[in-house]
Amino acid sequence: MSNVIEVNDLRKKYGDFEAVKGISFDVQEGEIFGFLGPNGAGKTTAIKMLCTMLKPTGGTARVSGHDVIREKNEVRKSIGIIFQENTLDEKLTANENLMLHCRFYNVPRSERESRIQEVLEIVELEDRRHKIVETFSGGMKRRLEIARGLIHYPKVLFLDEPTVGLDPQTRVHIWEYILRLKKKAGITMFLTTHYMDEAEISDRIAIIDQGRIIALDTPDHMRNDVGGDIVELVTVDNQAAREEIVTKYGKDAGEAEGILTFRVEKGNEFLSRFIKDFETPIKSINLRRPTLNDVFLKLTGRQIRDESISASDLAKQRMHNRMR
Amino acid sequence: MESIYALWYRDVLRFWRDRARLLGSFAMPFMFLIIFGSGMSGAMKSLISGPGASSALSGFNYVQFMFPGIIGMTILTTSIFSALSVVQDREFGYLREILVSPASRFSVAIGKVLGGSTVAFIQGLLMFVFVPFIGIRLNLTMLVELIPVMFLVAFTLSSVGLLIASSIKTSAGFQMVVQVLVFPMLFLSGALFPLAGMPLWMNFLVKINPLTYAVDMFKKIILKVSTMNPALKQALGLNLTVFNHTVTIWNELLFIALLALVFITLATVSFGRVE
Repeated sequence: MSNVIEVNDLRKKYGDFEAVKGISFDVQEGEIFGFLGPNGAGKTTAIKMLCTMLKPTGGTARVSGHDVIREKNEVRKSIGIIFQENTLDEKLTANENLMLHCRFYNVPRSERESRIQEVLEIVELEDRRHKIVETFSGGMKRRLEIARGLIHYPKVLFLDEPTVGLDPQTRVHIWEYILRLKKKAGITMFLTTHYMDEAEISDRIAIIDQGRIIALDTPDHMRNDVGGDIVELVTVDNQAAREEIVTKYGKDAGEAEGILTFRVEKGNEFLSRFIKDFETPIKSINLRRPTLNDVFLKLTGRQIRDESISASDLAKQRMHNRMR
Repeated sequence: MESIYALWYRDVLRFWRDRARLLGSFAMPFMFLIIFGSGMSGAMKSLISGPGASSALSGFNYVQFMFPGIIGMTILTTSIFSALSVVQDREFGYLREILVSPASRFSVAIGKVLGGSTVAFIQGLLMFVFVPFIGIRLNLTMLVELIPVMFLVAFTLSSVGLLIASSIKTSAGFQMVVQVLVFPMLFLSGALFPLAGMPLWMNFLVKINPLTYAVDMFKKIILKVSTMNPALKQALGLNLTVFNHTVTIWNELLFIALLALVFITLATVSFGRVE
């Protein structure tokens, strides 16, 4: 398989502050490649450099075989971009937005009609074709932007936080469209997100923190590297429970928002013994596979901040449901 | 080429959809021409052709005199304000879609300027609905002469607008700059009063104002200055001279066209630096 994106020691400096401190990676054809990291980690800066919107201050990057500094126009022709913020002309109809895009990208005149129909079908907006974009919901606008990003048949589709600001249900839908797209068109996708669960759909993930790539692997490998299973525990006295875990099992449990978490091997066998032996009264207990958040936690000692639904919120909700 | 057309089409389409803007564009000219103009015409007439003045000056009609200036004003404000769409595109994100496309910066600038100048040109043409009410007689030759001149002026002023817009980040900031630019340009152009008997400093500012020459071209065509009584011509400041050279319409056309070239080039360069 050939590389569609090749990045070598790419850097971006703003005055004294280096937002991207020398990143290197390759993205293969047909792959979904994810950039995961907290806000301000340098994801958007990196993606902007790959899309020729920002000039790097060091290193090189090639997208579909073209240098992002010297062959800007060639790069621009071969990529589609879904921006973090809405970039549709809301005073125009969906059809007009797509038609303008065809003109900017020199889509052959005879193909425009069929391509507009095709991309609108992919995102299920055929019936809104001649409606003014202003009247669309947030999710529909996003879908239209995805359609627009596809209409010139790009080799690579860049998605910068494509679901930011959308409600959870719409987010799920957007990812369904993206996955369907991958199956159908086999297009290479490069995405950035700070949502853990979303990054999981990537074939490979680069975890980026403070301008550096600190890990690059498949989600499965990353989770396996964390190893074992994660026990999430809520007790009547977390302090006592913590001490008991150290003395009995030699593990240092972390505590966040009233939930103790620690890692064990063979979680299923461990759990039955644990519940029998544990002396501090247990309010709830949960066993789960490590997530990318645990990966990030292990690598940096910090959680990825997540304003809407964090992994621990989800865990809490699960437990809450279980207790009822 | 296609992207120039696309940007032009977008501006014209948006203008056409925005009926409020279309109607609103009549408000200012109406105010100036019909209300301010009719109100002032008595006073202006007695000032220019009062007792003791030669009979040649009695042919003066202030509202008619102001009409070419109102066309200039309309083209000026619309041209410069259509560049506001560039600032708004930046605020609402659409500029990104344009700037990451393979369209060259030059075609983006040209497309935007053509869009703005078309809209300004149409607005300028719409001013002709006032013609029957103010007693001006237009014939086909005048119209044929006016159309290219109006478009050229609109193109130049739209380039100025784009140049400003390419370096300003917010709509509020743009409107500030425009206010500071549009009113002096308008008042120092002879659009609203005769350019006669001005103080020296003002005379200087009038002569370096591009709008002066634009308005003067409209006056030359609409008011049939070439056949006008010399005394009246003098009183209305229609003998524009620079360094004792009497400015002809061809001088003015060349000057405005050169300015168009300069400003579109500057605007393209300035646009190219936008990231």
